Amino acid sequence: MTITLVDVVNLLINGSIDGLLIALPTLALTLVMGIARFPNAATGDYMTVSAYAGIGVQALGGASILLAGLGAIAAGAAISVVFYLWVFRALRGRAPVASLVASIGVAFFGRSMLTLFAGHDQHTFSIPLVRAWNFGGIRVLPTDLYVAGVALLVMLLLFALLHLTPIGRQMRAIADNPDLARACGIRSGRVLLALWATVGALCALGGMMFGIKAVVSPELGWELLIPAFAAMIVGGIGSPIGAVAGAVLLGIASELSVPLVGPSYKIAVAFVLLLLVLLLRPRGLFGKAIAAR
Amino acid sequence: MSTRITRRDVLLAGAGLAGACALPRFAFAQDAGTFRVGTLCPITGAGSPYGSGMQKSIEAMVAEVNAAGGAGGRKLELFSEDGQTKPDAAVLAAKKLIEVNKVQAIFGTWSSGVTLAVMPLTDAAGIIEMNCSGAPVISTQDTKDLVWRFQATNDRFGQAFAVIAEKRGYKRPATMAFNNASGIGNAEGFTKAWTKKGGKVVASVVYEPNRASYRTELQQVLAQKPDVIVTGSYLPDSTILLREWYQTGQPVQWIMPGWAANPDLVKAVGNEVIDGLISVDSVSNENAASFKAYSDAYQKATGKPGSTNVYAAMTWDMVMCLALAMEAAGPGASVTQINAKIRDVANPDGTKVYTFAEGKKLLGEKKKINYEGASSRLDFDKYGDVTPDFGVFVVEKGQLVRRDVISI
Repeated sequence: MTITLVDVVNLLINGSIDGLLIALPTLALTLVMGIARFPNAATGDYMTVSAYAGIGVQALGGASILLAGLGAIAAGAAISVVFYLWVFRALRGRAPVASLVASIGVAFFGRSMLTLFAGHDQHTFSIPLVRAWNFGGIRVLPTDLYVAGVALLVMLLLFALLHLTPIGRQMRAIADNPDLARACGIRSGRVLLALWATVGALCALGGMMFGIKAVVSPELGWELLIPAFAAMIVGGIGSPIGAVAGAVLLGIASELSVPLVGPSYKIAVAFVLLLLVLLLRPRGLFGKAIAAR
Repeated sequence: MSTRITRRDVLLAGAGLAGACALPRFAFAQDAGTFRVGTLCPITGAGSPYGSGMQKSIEAMVAEVNAAGGAGGRKLELFSEDGQTKPDAAVLAAKKLIEVNKVQAIFGTWSSGVTLAVMPLTDAAGIIEMNCSGAPVISTQDTKDLVWRFQATNDRFGQAFAVIAEKRGYKRPATMAFNNASGIGNAEGFTKAWTKKGGKVVASVVYEPNRASYRTELQQVLAQKPDVIVTGSYLPDSTILLREWYQTGQPVQWIMPGWAANPDLVKAVGNEVIDGLISVDSVSNENAASFKAYSDAYQKATGKPGSTNVYAAMTWDMVMCLALAMEAAGPGASVTQINAKIRDVANPDGTKVYTFAEGKKLLGEKKKINYEGASSRLDFDKYGDVTPDFGVFVVEKGQLVRRDVISI
């Protein structure tokens, strides 16, 4: 099969959209990693629960997709804060592995409660399907533009929050050096509440976007966890800009590899890239070098 | 904390130890009056639209067998686990069923990946495995003849697809397969049958599970301008495939297996997208009295008619076949002796029976029986496979309408 420029552009578009979708949970992962300092395996299930909340809002009365999104964000922030107060707060100061294991438990718990009440059937958001715009073979889906637009807007808002607001500055301070931050009088309790609410909202949007593009099922988020982890590592652990870059890079690389290696191996290509990054630049693209003491 | 050991601690530890020693004996005690069986239905994962119904159907049949006084003098005791439509999870669950619960038969593995992963364990334990999977390799890997398949093989599905495509005059077929033994089996079965008829497949793609988008894969296939796309797919990925295909605006016909193209798919993608799609499924033995009995039990357990879940009819037949074989093998028979009786009670030559009570009565009179299943006539070939008929369903105004029944 010959590859034309049009094909490559189409692949680039597909890869970027895939990447932007993964970027949202990756941001949630990397924020928790940077500030609360453990890999949160429940990230995916926060996405799932929020997507179901969105479906629930839509089922209640044919509500608009916007209302469904707001419902999902409220649910995501709520579940994230509740599990922080209930589980993760008690584990602060222990080894990260304690929180990691607890987060796996939280993930199972969340999913099981969900399937207990909502069942195992798949759901879809009812959005009108529109034909793609065709620019001489380059196909652009309006849904994709919408998904990408929302993802980019959310990232912009997140960076504004981190860099332009006092609470964001405090988050970054704690990420930099928790002891110094405390010595400066930053009350970490409040900051962590804000962090978990933000993380929940990010997961919710990720879950919604994925649900709009694909289908909502109980395994939605759990299956996205590994690509999100990979993207976080490529981008540099704890770096929000790295999370976005890593996710988009992995998305594009795997799609572009399809004409060369076929669709079955495109996921493997993403992980080869991950290995290369770890070999050549172990801290990730935007990660800080941390010397072991 | 004090490190002194008090008498109370010693007592407590001693009691705990005694309890731990006694526990396995309680748990593993094999009551002579029961025969332990396990289920591994796909309650979650891609098989979840069917799993719960399959499970309920097994429970109903086990209750019927026990109400009739058991089989071969023994009652069936059921242990249930969720196969999750995932090989790794199913292997853990199968280990638990075999090693902890000591079951002697496992029912209801659905996806081929799961069946293939569980088979080595059941084979090693020398117990019976009954599944609804389609992968052709299951036949050849079943070296001890302990594996019984109640669904048509994917190879037979592929043959049915080719018959349908030819009948409807398509010339440029392409295949898209979910990357597992079943999806690829469907596509390869079709390709084999199609090229035998002298045709050519213009494109074939194997895609990965759990992706947000299959645009790239579709792009590859649609570039070859096929007039029909034949899939080996499941419900979630078919939903995504159809929505993305519709958005590209390129006309093409789809032929999908019934486990993917079902009413849930219609609901998920909408009438406009799916109109005209052809769904192919093995059809239950709908005119048989056994189907009626199954359907009534299914309706009672789930509130839906039995025709909504072909796999539940298969799991119903699994328990039935095992129970009849136990009855034929007589009291205290070993698993091997029971297994050897399965063909005897299900294959031709013998009085046709449709319920357990009927079969039990005739077997008691030392007569030969031939159980006609709810899922198919249920005549096992030398691989332990069956050949059901296939229904051709066309989606018209949001309804799956049966337009044809074909035999291969």
